[in-house]
Amino acid sequence: MSDIKAIFTGDRCLSCTACMANCPVMAAVKEYRGPKLVGPAHGRMHFSQEDVEESLNYCSNCKSCDRACPSGVAVSTLNMLQRAEYYKKHEHLRHEDMLAHGERMAKLIRKIPFGATFSNIGMSLGKTLGVFSALGLAGERNMPAYAATAFKDYFPRIKQTAVNKKIVMFTGCYINDNEPQVGEAFIKVMNANGCEVLIDKQFKCCGSPLVVTGFLDEARQHADNNVARILDWKRQGIPVVTPCTSCSLMLKEEYHELFGEDQFHEAAENVYDAFEFLEMLQERGEFNDNLKPLNQKFLYHVPCHLKSQAIGLPAQNILEEIGGVEVKTADAGCCGISGNYGFRKDKYEISMKIGAKLFERVKKKDFDKVISDCGTCRMQIHHGTEIKPVHPIEILAQAY
Amino acid sequence: MEKATVVVIGGGATGLGILRDLSMRGVKALLVEKNDLVNGASSRYHGLLHSGGRYAVKDQEAAKECIIENQIMRKIGKSCVEPCGGMFTRLDIDDEAYEEAWVKGCADSGIEATPITLDEAFKLEPRLSRKHVKSAYLVPDAAVDGFRMSWQLIDSSKRYGGQVKTYTEVIGFDTVNGELRGVKVRNQFTGEEYEIGCDIAVNAAGGWAAFVGKLAGVEIGVQPDKGTLIAFNQRIVNHVVNRLHKSSDGDIFVPHGSITILGTSSMSVPSPEDTSTSREEVESLIKIGEQTFEDLRDFRILRTFAGSRPLYIPPGGAIGRSASRGFAIVDHEQDGLKGLFTIVGGKFTTFRLMAEKMCNQICTKLNNTTPCRTAEEPLVEEVPQADKDRAKKFFPSYGVNLAATRLGVERFKKVVERLESEPESRELVCECENVTRAEVEEICKEDTSFIVNDVRRRTRIGMGTCQGNFCALRAAAVFADTGVESTAKDSLTRMKEFLQGRWKGIRPVLLGRTLRETEMTRAIYELSMAINNAQGGMNNAKNNS
Repeated sequence: MSDIKAIFTGDRCLSCTACMANCPVMAAVKEYRGPKLVGPAHGRMHFSQEDVEESLNYCSNCKSCDRACPSGVAVSTLNMLQRAEYYKKHEHLRHEDMLAHGERMAKLIRKIPFGATFSNIGMSLGKTLGVFSALGLAGERNMPAYAATAFKDYFPRIKQTAVNKKIVMFTGCYINDNEPQVGEAFIKVMNANGCEVLIDKQFKCCGSPLVVTGFLDEARQHADNNVARILDWKRQGIPVVTPCTSCSLMLKEEYHELFGEDQFHEAAENVYDAFEFLEMLQERGEFNDNLKPLNQKFLYHVPCHLKSQAIGLPAQNILEEIGGVEVKTADAGCCGISGNYGFRKDKYEISMKIGAKLFERVKKKDFDKVISDCGTCRMQIHHGTEIKPVHPIEILAQAY
Repeated sequence: MEKATVVVIGGGATGLGILRDLSMRGVKALLVEKNDLVNGASSRYHGLLHSGGRYAVKDQEAAKECIIENQIMRKIGKSCVEPCGGMFTRLDIDDEAYEEAWVKGCADSGIEATPITLDEAFKLEPRLSRKHVKSAYLVPDAAVDGFRMSWQLIDSSKRYGGQVKTYTEVIGFDTVNGELRGVKVRNQFTGEEYEIGCDIAVNAAGGWAAFVGKLAGVEIGVQPDKGTLIAFNQRIVNHVVNRLHKSSDGDIFVPHGSITILGTSSMSVPSPEDTSTSREEVESLIKIGEQTFEDLRDFRILRTFAGSRPLYIPPGGAIGRSASRGFAIVDHEQDGLKGLFTIVGGKFTTFRLMAEKMCNQICTKLNNTTPCRTAEEPLVEEVPQADKDRAKKFFPSYGVNLAATRLGVERFKKVVERLESEPESRELVCECENVTRAEVEEICKEDTSFIVNDVRRRTRIGMGTCQGNFCALRAAAVFADTGVESTAKDSLTRMKEFLQGRWKGIRPVLLGRTLRETEMTRAIYELSMAINNAQGGMNNAKNNS
């Protein structure tokens, strides 16, 4: 028996309640019965009758519970598996379908000439006209604007010198469709460190948005596809590196927790978060420390999904190599958006309530810039404070 | 003096079955139990409602009784029986010839045993050993909740005027010229001694039957035979899974509510009070169990428990596994004591039949010709769906049906009303088994709730993953507020005895996750709350000042 698959980890629960004490959603909304009950405790009860725990809907999959658990229970994944069960018998709402399939939507839009431009206009119009709100989306938010050209399409135009040391970049949907400048920075940094960056067009969305909205079968297809690709690269000795923390968590941990196949574990060994990879180069003495001083102070919001990887704070470590750079962690908990959670109309307020502490911290403005590795965290901070954060790799790129 | 026509001694399934049967026939009956109800073998067993498959080779009479009673129980005790079905699996190390004899035995006894392919078996029970399992059959086994069944027997008896006194120990018999006049009893809490007048007394004390007999000066051949069982934290099996071989230790897995029970061993013990378990017994059960489920050791053990089968040993009869699982009725008029009967032996599955036969004899004596109706009438009414639907709004999910079957129509209604009107009563006392404060309060008020353990047996508080870690304090607090004043006021003792009861079953399995859990319990109660020296601590403070 694979003890690591989530459904088996429930047996480890000591009922200690550490997960409930650390759940940001519980702190924000009293209707949520909390990770312990909804996850491992109910896991023992599912046999007893056909029933639905309505408050499961509140779980944002931020994984604070998993990190708090002293016994290694994959609480949030138990919740996601249960959510998938719910959708076996219930129809998805339209906005859930939209939020789960950002990749599909972006592809559609790009098939239309000037599609991105039009859709961005459409989205700001949509916000003004209340269309999103009517769809069940958070009307208060700007929808992430599409980049004119997807990063993967723009990629061949980026000039790189062919070298032996190669890595494959897993772009992630958000960087590919919305923030290609992060991708460019990633390539600049990796090139400076003697790595040629490859792109694998066969990679699909990691599946994180699918999992949280209960499209588990579809997520499984993505997992099978991506894992086959990762293993293929592994056989060639080429690591897969991603600047998106939710993607890397999915590829490294969640696939295995959800589906429990051994090859998912094997694939995970070949996946690195961008700064984790750089830190590894540093440990080997291969990191290029020929960095221009920047003389800036940064406030670092550490994404939940980075914390869950238990790899420390490699971005802080690396950025502090730059002359005059000071990185302070915000230490203000979850930002509240948790992927597409905060984009739902019924979760908007909760999401903002969870983020309030972070917003307050950011608004102190005792720094030059806010940095965060996660795309949706950056959006949330921007929305909550009107201060636009950047990916730490963009800072590092400036130093080369 | 209190009076009843018949006093039933012993609050196990047999005694309760007799109380119900007599009450339904219009006989004024009163049951006394020295402890809480179903405190002996009627709850300390694997919770298996036999199809009879287990007896199909050795004892076809028992097998036939089982399959008939099995069907009756499903009908009259619908909410106590989980019709999960059973599977018999023969392993590579088991005798093939036995399988043949078993198939024939089932056919002869009227037990439907359907052969299934191994693929089907692994689909139904994914954790079965692919290496060892060689053949599989489906039989109509089921899981039955001994606790719930007993409370429903009382509810049914009370409807017909039956009475119950728990924590009331029999200390002697009042006889005049070889004729029974009454039963002398003592209240376990107050120490008060008194007599209950009666024409007939039935000794249905199970493992304790010999002690009760002794009080009346009659000898009864009963051998307590200890069976140890293991409760696992999860459902490991979907069906009752039996080993298809000559009945032996550790060869039955029963999915029982949220847990799985593996049992049992068979060991003659001098006293039925011996419910101790040991690491060695646990190890030996697991060793056998893992032949059927290879990854058994990966599953967390909640606790162990043991009970004594009251095996009837006729003069010169065999003991242990070879002793008959049948039952016997003795009319002690033959020993010169008119009015006293003893019923002993048997098994939970056939308790109703035993009661019927006992009551037939009693009624003949009483010239009561009312026929037995216990096989036809359901124990309790079903909770109406409308009440359940209303409850859904306030109950924790997965909790409605369980609570409805535990509480029955009237209490369930009251609990739902409380949940509706008092939001704070919706909080969970027991988070592992999903028990609300409203339900615990309702049961605390019952006239059979003297200690927190009595409430536990009825609500399942403290019987889940954390084994009382979080609910002991809460339950003792609720009990202090709503329980019987005489015992509830000493809430610290109530909480400690509740925790001690839990720890008794945990000590032999202090391994891995169970050990971690227990260390946390210890940290909370012994360190944070200092429950063992709170008194001393206060005294010290006084001395210092």
